[in-house]
Parts: sequence; C-alpha cells; structure tokens
Amino acid sequence: MTHRPETPTARRAAIPRPSPAYAEQATTAELLTRLSEANQGDGYWAALRAELVRRHLSLVRAMAWRFRNRGEDLDDLVQVGTVGLLGAVDRFDPSRGVEFVSFATPTIVGELKRHLRDKAGTVRVPRRLQERHAAVSRASMDLYQRLGRSPTVRELAAEIGATDEEVLEALESAQAYTTVPLDTDDGPTPTAQDSADALDGVEYRASLRPLLDRLPPREKHIIVLRFFAHRTQSEIAAELGVSQVQVSRILTRTLQQLRAGLAD
Amino acid sequence: MVQVVPEAGVGSDVVVLTVPADGAYLSVLRTAAAGLAARLHFTLDEIEDLRIAVDEACAMLLADSSADTDLSCRFEVSEDALTVAVSVPATRRKLPGTDTFAWMVLSALAGDVRSDSSGGRATIWLTKHRSGAV
Repeated sequence: MTHRPETPTARRAAIPRPSPAYAEQATTAELLTRLSEANQGDGYWAALRAELVRRHLSLVRAMAWRFRNRGEDLDDLVQVGTVGLLGAVDRFDPSRGVEFVSFATPTIVGELKRHLRDKAGTVRVPRRLQERHAAVSRASMDLYQRLGRSPTVRELAAEIGATDEEVLEALESAQAYTTVPLDTDDGPTPTAQDSADALDGVEYRASLRPLLDRLPPREKHIIVLRFFAHRTQSEIAAELGVSQVQVSRILTRTLQQLRAGLAD
Repeated sequence: MVQVVPEAGVGSDVVVLTVPADGAYLSVLRTAAAGLAARLHFTLDEIEDLRIAVDEACAMLLADSSADTDLSCRFEVSEDALTVAVSVPATRRKLPGTDTFAWMVLSALAGDVRSDSSGGRATIWLTKHRSGAV
C-alpha cells in the first residue's frame, strides 16, 4: 500500500482496499488513538490509516461535490480531497479532544481549493465560449470587408445571432485566456525591412530601440504599425491575415513587455 | 464600489469605480471601459484601443503608488465620447512626460490625453470620440 502518494496513479492506488476485521469493529476515535501509538510505516499502521480513509471517503466525496462546477473532473477532485484527508489523519492529535470530522473538513477543503487555484492559470476556455469567440473573430473580419471599417458590438451581435453581452463576453475571453496558443493561425511573418521602413523618420527614446529590436518580428511589426505608422487594429489585422481581436491581444501583451523593459 | 451619478442637465452619465491600487484589479476597469464603449456604439477597433489605453494609463499611475492606496476610475459617458479619468494619490515622482513612448502610445490609442498632479491626486484623462459608425 502506498502511504505518500505523489502522482495521480499513486493516489488512485491509495484508495484503500477492505481492511482486516479487527479494524472494522473499533470506533473511529479508537482507531485514531491506535494510529497515534502505532509505528509509523509498518503494516499495522498502514492498515489503520487505510481503514480511517475508507470510513471518511463519503466526506471527501461530499466536499469534492461542492467544487464540481470548476471545470475539474469529479474523480480527480475526490483524489485531491483524499490527499487532504490523509494529511488530516496523519496530523490529528487524539489527545486534544477535537472531533476528527471537524478537524479533517477544513484540511480537505483547503487541499481542494489549493488544487483549483493552482489549476486556474491553465484553465481552458469553455467550448461554448471558444466557439463564440471564433464566430466573433470571423464576423469581425467579414464585416470589416463589407463595411470598410471596424464593426460595432451591435453589428457583430446581429451578424452571429448573439446578444451584445455575449459578444462582449467573447471579446473578454480572448483577452483573459492567454494560454491559448497565439501563433497557431500565424499569417505571413513580416520581414525586418517592413518594420524598418515604418520606423524611418520616427524619433523615439533611445531606450526603446533595443527593446523593440528584442521583440519577435511580428510583435515588433504590429507595434510599429499601430504606434508609429498610426494604422488601425483592423488594418493591421487585414494586412497580416489575422483577426483584429488577435492584434489587440498581441498589442496588450507586447506593451506589457515593453513597459517591464522600460521600467528596468 | 460602483456609483452611477446622472449629472443633471449635462446629458452625460458618470460611472465611478474605485479599486485597490493593485494591478490585479485592472481587468475590472478594462471590462467596464469596454462595456461602456460598446454601449456608445464604438467600433471594435475603438473598444480594443480604449481597453489597452486604460491598461497603459493605470500602469503609469500604479508604477509608483503603493498597493494600500486606491485607484479611482471615473467614466463620463456622453453622446459621442467616453472620457476616462484614472487617478491615484499623488506621490513625489512626476508622471511620464508627453515625449515618452508611454505617452505616445496613450495618445495613439485614446486620442485626447492629458494629465495633472494637483489636489493631492495624480490623474490621467483619456477622451475617446466615436468615429461615426452607428
């Protein structure tokens, strides 16, 4: 039996098998007292621990269930919660007269919250939002062609049969989830010469030049077109064959990098 | 946290948002800016420019303010323009000058930009006019 699960597979293995009858008949409080007196790591200790986990799996499931709408698989949450339960079993001090369940519950919830927080940075955009974002992207390019200018939110909403709020939500999601690979629908990469032409005759701080030169060619090109050649986001998008929303995202990210660089 | 103040007789609505002076709250202000700009029928270009401009202006102000102060953002929505005033308690350091790249970026994104450090607060005003698409 595994005592210190490190990997998901190990956690799965840690969910206990039926334990010997001697453990079954004792109360939870008795088992916890025996565990505190057992030799850590031996077979008896492991069996007691497994029985205690088995008795509290329903508690773990109940806690995991509360976090079921966070985009994580319920089975995974139960495993994370079980790790929390094991921690509680190991740290519980029977001499302090506290109910084990009151002691274990915050530990389990804490483990689940920590897990979800750690995961939050790499959360995937829900499919529904991904599809709407794709529809907004496409419609913005179509409408730009048709109208000869960037569309409004209302025009986009009418085009894809969504509400204004839904369009805004889709635009928002494009900004929020930077884990979506940016370069999957790459257009032609501009040459260094294109950027150099746009920079001709532009005066700017000496400290900026090396920072601009450190940027990848496409990022540099977009910054130069927007801020030195004064082209609109839609014009840049049309030229590079990407969506305007993507241009906006690249601008936001690149300006943050430049800011960090200029502050040094 | 949010205040909507209809200003009598002027024909413009005012929305005031106050958040802790911490970069983690910028998304709230960006979202508010985008939502208000959409209500004014700004184009996608203008909305995204404004979103980035709010980011830039706030970053400028947050660069030398401490996290336990507040960042105030006042949106004034008129018929064809959105004016955003972001401010933090003034510190001794001056805001970036109009010849800096940061300022150039702000002007390109927002149109009218001005700043002021009187009255104990450092403030940056951005005014974005609607281009005429309806």
